[in-house]
Amino acid sequence: MFGSLKIAMVAILITGIAGAGMYVMKLRSDNAILKVNQIKLESAVADQKQLIENQQKDFEEILEANKKMNVLINALQKDLDDLDKRFNKGKRDVGKLAIEKTKLIEKIINKGSVNAKRCIEIASGAELTEKEKNATKKSEINPECPSIANPSYIAY
Amino acid sequence: MPRAQLNLEKPTPLELEQLRWIIITSENAEEVFQKLEEQGIDPVIFGLTDKDFELLAKNFARIRNQLKITNDLLDKYKEYYETDVKENNTKK
Repeated sequence: MFGSLKIAMVAILITGIAGAGMYVMKLRSDNAILKVNQIKLESAVADQKQLIENQQKDFEEILEANKKMNVLINALQKDLDDLDKRFNKGKRDVGKLAIEKTKLIEKIINKGSVNAKRCIEIASGAELTEKEKNATKKSEINPECPSIANPSYIAY
Repeated sequence: MPRAQLNLEKPTPLELEQLRWIIITSENAEEVFQKLEEQGIDPVIFGLTDKDFELLAKNFARIRNQLKITNDLLDKYKEYYETDVKENNTKK
């Protein structure tokens, strides 16, 4: 009787130790899985952070590009308005002026034509000359398109 | 895998021919045609009224503006999508 009890106790003890061992092993395995998950999570968070940073950078670039395009469009519109003024300022009548001062108007129109030709070349991607880049006075600029031909010029 | 870059060459900038405007009035018409003949040019003029000349000038200005906008738009797209283009432009 006493012997059977002893055997049962030993069996319980062995089962307990084995159970504890298995539990520890399970804990270790869970811990390893958790560590891997943690690394994955950290990596995902870092990726997301990078993604958000990139998106923010892209967004800023898009805003900047839009701003620059709007500035350009407004400047070009101003050139067009100035051209209209040259024809219709006050009660100006180019036809009448051409009858009265034929040679002078012919000279002005031909000069304007040279300038307008250059404007199209610049608009199509031609490099600006140093003279065009550095022009700051009204007498130095291309009055047909100062916004694209004379970047240093500020209207006064 | 990212797509290969398109890398098309930008079109060569235009180099336009210079033309000469001649103003003809009822006063100088004869003189103008005579000069043309003297220079060996056919005495014929393709004419515009002052109003049409104004419209032509404005049409050209509009075409020029559109050309500039389209060109700049193309540059902006290249800068945005092709990082090395942007870096090169920044370095300039």
